[in-house]
Formats: sequence, structure tokens, C-alpha cells
Amino acid sequence: MNWAEVIKAMLPEHVLLIGILVLLCLEIAKGRPRDGFAVAFLTLVVAAAAALTLHSSHYVGMPFPGHFSVGPGASLAKFVIIALTVPVALISRDDFDDTRYYVLMLSSLYGACLLVSSDSLLTMFLGLEIMSLPVYALVLMAQLRPDSAEASLKYLVMGGAATATFLMGVAMLYGWSGSLSTDVFSIALGSSDPFATAGLVLVIAALFLKAAIVPFHGWAPDAYEGASVPVTAFMATVIKAGVLLAALRLFGARQALGPVADLLALLPLVSMVWGNVAAIRQTSFRRMIAYSSIAHAGYLFFALLGSGPGRGQAILFYVAVYGIMNVLALAMLPRGADDARSDRLESLQGLYHRRPFAAIMIAIAMLSLAGLPPLPGFIGKFLIFRNVLEAGFTLYAVLGLVASYLGIYFYLRVIQYMFMNATPADVPSGQPRRLAIAASLVCLGPAIALAFFPSWLLDRF
Amino acid sequence: MSEATWLNWLLWLPALGMVAVGLVPRGRDELVRWVTFGCMVLQLVIATLLYQRFNGLDSGLQFATDVPWIASWGVGYRIGLDGINILLVALTAFLGPLVVMGSWSAVQKEVKLFHAMVLFIQFAMLGTFVAQDLFLFYVFWEAMLIPMFLIIGLWGGERRIYATLKFVLYTAFGSILMLAALIYFVLALQDLRGTMSFAFADLYGLPLPLSTQMWLLGAFALSFAIKVPMFPLHTWLPDAHVEAPTTGSVILAGVLLKMGTYGFMKLGFPLFPEAARVMMPAIMVLAVVSIVYGACLALVQTDIKKIIAYSSISHLGYVMLGLASLDLIGIQGAILQMVSHGLVAGGLFFMVGMIYERTHSRNVADYGGLAKMLPVFSVFFTLLTLASIGLPMTSGFAGEFMALLGAFNAGWTAHVAGNSLPLTLAVIAVSGVVLGALYMLWLAQRILFGEARAPHSPLTDLNARETGILVALVVAIFAIGLFPSGPLAKTELAAREFQQRMVGEQVQLGSMTR
Repeated sequence: MNWAEVIKAMLPEHVLLIGILVLLCLEIAKGRPRDGFAVAFLTLVVAAAAALTLHSSHYVGMPFPGHFSVGPGASLAKFVIIALTVPVALISRDDFDDTRYYVLMLSSLYGACLLVSSDSLLTMFLGLEIMSLPVYALVLMAQLRPDSAEASLKYLVMGGAATATFLMGVAMLYGWSGSLSTDVFSIALGSSDPFATAGLVLVIAALFLKAAIVPFHGWAPDAYEGASVPVTAFMATVIKAGVLLAALRLFGARQALGPVADLLALLPLVSMVWGNVAAIRQTSFRRMIAYSSIAHAGYLFFALLGSGPGRGQAILFYVAVYGIMNVLALAMLPRGADDARSDRLESLQGLYHRRPFAAIMIAIAMLSLAGLPPLPGFIGKFLIFRNVLEAGFTLYAVLGLVASYLGIYFYLRVIQYMFMNATPADVPSGQPRRLAIAASLVCLGPAIALAFFPSWLLDRF
Repeated sequence: MSEATWLNWLLWLPALGMVAVGLVPRGRDELVRWVTFGCMVLQLVIATLLYQRFNGLDSGLQFATDVPWIASWGVGYRIGLDGINILLVALTAFLGPLVVMGSWSAVQKEVKLFHAMVLFIQFAMLGTFVAQDLFLFYVFWEAMLIPMFLIIGLWGGERRIYATLKFVLYTAFGSILMLAALIYFVLALQDLRGTMSFAFADLYGLPLPLSTQMWLLGAFALSFAIKVPMFPLHTWLPDAHVEAPTTGSVILAGVLLKMGTYGFMKLGFPLFPEAARVMMPAIMVLAVVSIVYGACLALVQTDIKKIIAYSSISHLGYVMLGLASLDLIGIQGAILQMVSHGLVAGGLFFMVGMIYERTHSRNVADYGGLAKMLPVFSVFFTLLTLASIGLPMTSGFAGEFMALLGAFNAGWTAHVAGNSLPLTLAVIAVSGVVLGALYMLWLAQRILFGEARAPHSPLTDLNARETGILVALVVAIFAIGLFPSGPLAKTELAAREFQQRMVGEQVQLGSMTR
């Protein structure tokens, strides 16, 4: 084993690992809780810088051949995932004065990094589990409301089912090909052997479960609502990004055809429609965001219908923008003593008159999630549907766009509540999070950059 | 400084103004108004300069900028002026300062956000007109929804939320299908020519099969027809107009509706000429139905604002009819009618806003004998009414007459060739003129003459600011009405080019503008 390569190729992972170890030591030494935040923040910034350096030096390395490899694309994906966690960490301080929280968050992030670099199905499984397991605990850590436990349990059971399905699929692919390499997946895409197709379908179903695609979405609304705001933000950004980038890794450059393509088109299409329609009825902001995330998972899987480099561009760009906007919206929510009440959509009424900055930020996030130009969400949507059309799925693209139209209403309703309705008399007294402004600026800068110069990210992939 | 820089300044001034307004500290409402006004005036000055230097004898793009934006998909920041958009850019810039003046006293809440949104929509509208790249065009086209959503929803009337959601959801539906169509179209260009480009110039004349063209034109036309709005997609308009604040109505009627007809002229028809020729009878029928139906509905309304809103549907029907005639005079008339309607309907909405500020009523039955109470108001109202009817010497006459003349020319040619439908439609369209005179004069008679009554009387007549707005509009209306050859000379070449793209053959020279 080439140790120099191991150290260099896995630099972002190593930084995260060091951060985790330091945090654990702090926990043992009963350090001040504030130090936990500082260490986690520093770790994230250094890890993101490491990933970006690897990317811009076009570093290619295979520290564990056949299991783990690093290329510019993977480094860029790691950078995006780690950078998205920075604002999440910034808004965590109010909810979690707890070193353990940051340990869990960084561990999950470690899993996500492993995921995007995995060359074998085994590493991928490892990454998927390391990413998911801490989140079950994170959801439970909210302790703001009694239903957190129920939400966490649901998530755990569904996550367990996803794990089992994934392993089953991997086993079948292994049985079919005798190899555990991720390439097996894309080779199986071109095969008409029912055994291979069954393996593919199981793996895809597991990914659908993790990303909350209808009909595997039941856990998402409960988990998003039951978790505390930073954890919701973490789930909506890092977990979703990790799953999609893993899927991207699996599909390679090969286009899905036949029944697999239909599976990839139909369930995400149903997700878009159902997510957008069900979101209209929600009264809780985080639950609404959960349904919106179900719809967005649909768009993201749609991108896999395409082929070639456009697919990676689309997914990475979309994941980045989607994550930024989710964190932006969640960061700006006022934090009330009674979480269930302050999470109600009605509590946002008249927010512009109370806290104009927060209202404008949430409005920007909503418009971007709705995919309206000139916000960067539009460019993401454009990229995805351009790919689907390029691959020749005209009907699916049109239906997908119409489904995305259905979503505009509930995003606009949030803006209507904030700007056009008067503040209700019994609005819960909420305080903004202490570092919310910093978090919002961390989100807003890249968002503006991506809206005006999307090429900056696109041409890198 | 190169000439193209001026157009960039014109476009980006409102965006800069938005930032400037954002930086004004809270509570300094007067300063916000002045900053916005200054920005708009500066913009008008630049637009005037560009208008004067625009050479009508040059068929290419002028003051053009073309820099790559998202190079890997052939998207560029491409802007420029041509004969089709020059007048609309001028109109937009001209209405800008008037809109700010018009809202000076009417808007008292959230002044900062309001002016930021007015500047935002100005930016988006100018961008839509000057864009020479399909992607850029779409971005600006959709971006207009956001400020309009807030302008109607925050400063509108009682049912403002319903109206604004209806407006946005209607328009967004058209746009979403247009997005699918435009991506498909650009990919088709890539297949056929091997280049990835969103530039208008590259997209014209793409030989697509007729069935594909029909689908694509259908998607584009749906979006544009909603914006115009054409019957039967017009139902959002009365709600939006009635609930919108005066500023919103003026922007809607003055510029926003022209986006639809501009879209047809710049993109819809010339991109898919064969499909457009097939669909032309249907478009003419819808245009004539819009003319007559809009006029009939205007006749029975009891709300002044609604009367003008429905009259907009009717007047924009002429624009569509003129375009669909594919006759040079008709096309020129359509362009002129777009500008004219912007001035006249904009002015009428201003006047409704002025009287509403005084009485808080838009009900026709509440008024009578305003000529005695408000002489200045009445003079301007009469002038605008006459312009709306299309009295000779006003811009309304030049536009409507030419559009109808074009329709008759085309109709006669078709009639001789054995197809009497266009001629019949032209004849029916003329009845719209009669109906237009009927509802406008009846409105004027009911509110200006008779027994003097109005809510909250005694009323004060127009102040200097309000008079200034109307004087500017009336001068422009008469200037175009008396000397239409000036603007027409700028647009003639573009109209001819449009006609050639549509007809696909060289047409003989010679027109009434020389």
C-alpha cells in the first residue's frame, strides 16, 4: 500500500476523522460545549479546502485499487457536500450545545465522502451506512417534541429496509457477475438478463428509499418534521446529495434503457406530482419542505435518464443549489420555545413586517426551489430537463415540467404569508438563531455566483 | 465609450437602482422615491439617445453585445436593438418615470420594497425586449412574474391575493410548456446543424418538419397568447387589472401585455413560419373574437377599471390581426398599435388611479358631471377616450387603421384567390371599432356629464404632478398620431424582414411610409 497516496487522496476524509477524534477527546475531557462547535466548524472549513485543492490540482489517485478512488469529479462532489454542511453547522449552535451532535454530523459526512469515492459496491454500502446511522440518532436528539422518537424510529426502520434491499441487490449483482466493482451496475444496465435486472431494480429501490421517492417516501415528512431545524437541513442537503451522487457513480456514463428507464422515469414522476400536490395541504413548514424534497428527489433521479457528462453536471449543480436554498430557508426560520407552534406555516404570516431580512431570504429560497428565473434553481431545473430531452424522453420531460409547475403554488403561498398577510395576534415569539445571518451569507454568496456564473461549477465537472 | 455600452447601461440601470434603493436606510421614503425617479429619468435619457441614433436603414442588430455566458450550451449574453424592439424599449423607458410619479402619493406602505419591485420589473421588461438569446429571453420573461406577483399582492385591492395568484399561475403554465419547447428546439438545432446555440440569429430558418413545428409553435403560442391575452385565455386579466394598484395596472397594460404580441412577432411566427401559416386562420379568428368579445364585455361593465381592462383585450386583438395579416402595412400597424395602446391604456389607468385616490370608488354609477367639478381631469379623460377610440390625429388611429388596412389587403387578396374567410374576419373586426367608440364614449358621457355627483366631494382637481404625467402621455399620443412616419421609418425594415420570413419570398417594395 502506498501510504503517501493514502494520505493525500483521502485528505478530506482524514481531516473529518481528525475532527471527530478531537471532538471525542473534548467530550471525554468535558470541555466547554462551545469548543465543540468551534472544532466542528474549523474541521469543515479545512476539509472543504482540502477537497477543493484536490479538485483544482486535478488529482487522480487510487489508494485502495478497486475500492476507493479519487478524481477531480469526486473531489468536487466532496467539496460541495462538505461546503453545504458549513452553514448547517452555523445554525446548529442554538439547538445543540453538545459535542456529540457534531461528532454524529461529521461521521455522517465522512460516510457521504466515502460514498462518492467508492469503486466497489462494498465501499458504497459502507459509505451509505456510515452516512445514515448517525442521522437516526440526530433525528432523535431534537428532544424538542415528543414525536421525535416516533420519527426517528420510522426513519430507522425504513433505513434498515433500504439497507437490506441494497444488500440483496448487491448480492444478486455479485451472483450474476462475480464482481463487486461499481462497474457491474452499469454493465448490468446494458444486459437483458432478468437476474441482473432484478439486482438493478433492488439497488435502485434502495436508493429511492434513501432519497424518499414515492412510494418509499413515508418516513420523510415525519423525520423532517420531528427533527430539529439543523438536522432537517442536514438531511435535506447532505443525505440527499450523498444518495444522488452515489447513484451517479453507479450509473457511470451509461444510459438506462428499457424497463429500468421506465422505472427511473415513472416513480420520480409520481414523486414530483405527489410531493408537489401533498405539499399544498401541509400546515407545518418542515413537513412542507419534506414534501418539496420528495418532489426534488424526483427531479434529481430524472436527471439519470440522460447520458454523458450532462448528467453529472445536472445532478451536482442541482444538489448544490437545492442544498443551499434549503439551508437558507431553514436557517432563517425564527426559533420559538414551542417548536410545533413556531413551525406552523401560519406563524410565518407577516414575517416581512417583523423581520424583513429573514423574509426576503426565505422568499429567495422559495422562488429558487420553485425554479423561477433568475434564481439558480431555474438553471438546475433547466439542466435536468435539457438532459432528459436530449436523451429522447420528450413525453417524460413535458410531464415532469408540468409536475414542477404544480409546485409553484405552495412556494408562492409561503411568500404570500410572509409579505401579504398581516401578523396574527397570537404569533409565537421567535428569536432568530444567533449565527443565522452568517449562515445566510454563506448560502447567499454562492447562490448569487451560481445564478450569474453557472459555468463556474458546470465547466468543472 | 462604444455604442453598445449605452444599451447595457439602459438595461442594467434599473438593477443598479434596485441595489441603491436597497441601501437607503429604512424610513427614508422620500429618498427612495427620488432615487427611483432619478434612475428612471436617466434611463429615459439613454433610451432617447439610442432611439435617435437608431438607424432604420440598417437591417442588422444595432448596439449589440454578444459575450458567452454559459458557453458549453451555447448560451450567450446577447442583447441588441432592431426594428421590432426599438419602439417597445422606448415605450418602456418612457413609461418608467411616469409610473414612479404616478405612485408618489398612492403608495404609502412598504415604499422601499415597492420601488425595488418597480425597478426589478423595469429591468425584466427591458431585458425581455432587448434579449437576442432564447435562454436570456426566457430568464427575463419569467423573472417578470416575481415583481408583478408582489406588486399586485402587496399593494392591490381587496381580492389582491386571489388575483395575483391567478395571474402568476396562468402565466407560469404557459411558460413551463414554452421551456420544454425551447429546449427541444435548441436540441433540434444541434442535431441539424451541429452547433449548440441559443442565439435568435442561429435559430431562424431551421428546417423542421411541419408536425414538429406545430407542436413547438403551439407551446410558444400558448405562453404568448396568455400574456396578450387572447380569447379564451384572458380571464386572468380583468382580475389582475382590477386588483392591481395603479402602478401595476399601468405596467401591465402599458408594457407587459405587449410581451405577448412581441413574442409572437419576434419568436413564435418567424421561428416556425410553415406552422404559423397553417395556424394563421385560427389565430385571425381568435384575434377577431378577442376584438369583438372584449369590446362587448367592456360595454356591460360597471367598474371603470374593468372597462379599460376589457378594452385592452379588444385593442390587442388588432395587434394580432395586423400581425396575422402578413401584410406590410398590417405589420407596421401592429407595431404602432402596441405602442399606442401602451400610451393610451396606460394613461387611462393612471386617470382611474387618480380619481380612485380621491373617491375610493371605481363604480361608474357613483360618478356624474365630473366635467364641472374637475375640468382639467375631464379634458385629459376626453382626450384619452378619443385616442382610445382611434380618432384621427391620435396614435390610436394610426395603429388601428393600419392594422385593419393590412387585414383588408390580405383579405382581399385571399378573397380573389377564393378564400373569403380573412375578408369576412376583417369586416367583423371593423365592428370592434364601432363598439369601442360606443363603450368609451358612453363611459365618458356617464362620468363626465349629467348631474354632478361623486363620493367624497368636493374633489380637488389634478395637481401639477398628475397633470405632468398626462401631458407627457397626451403629447406622445399626438406626436405619433400626427407624425407616424418617424417611428414607422425605424420599424419598416424589420417589418419587411418579418414578412419575408413568414411569406418566404421577396415581396415588392413600396409602402405608405415614404
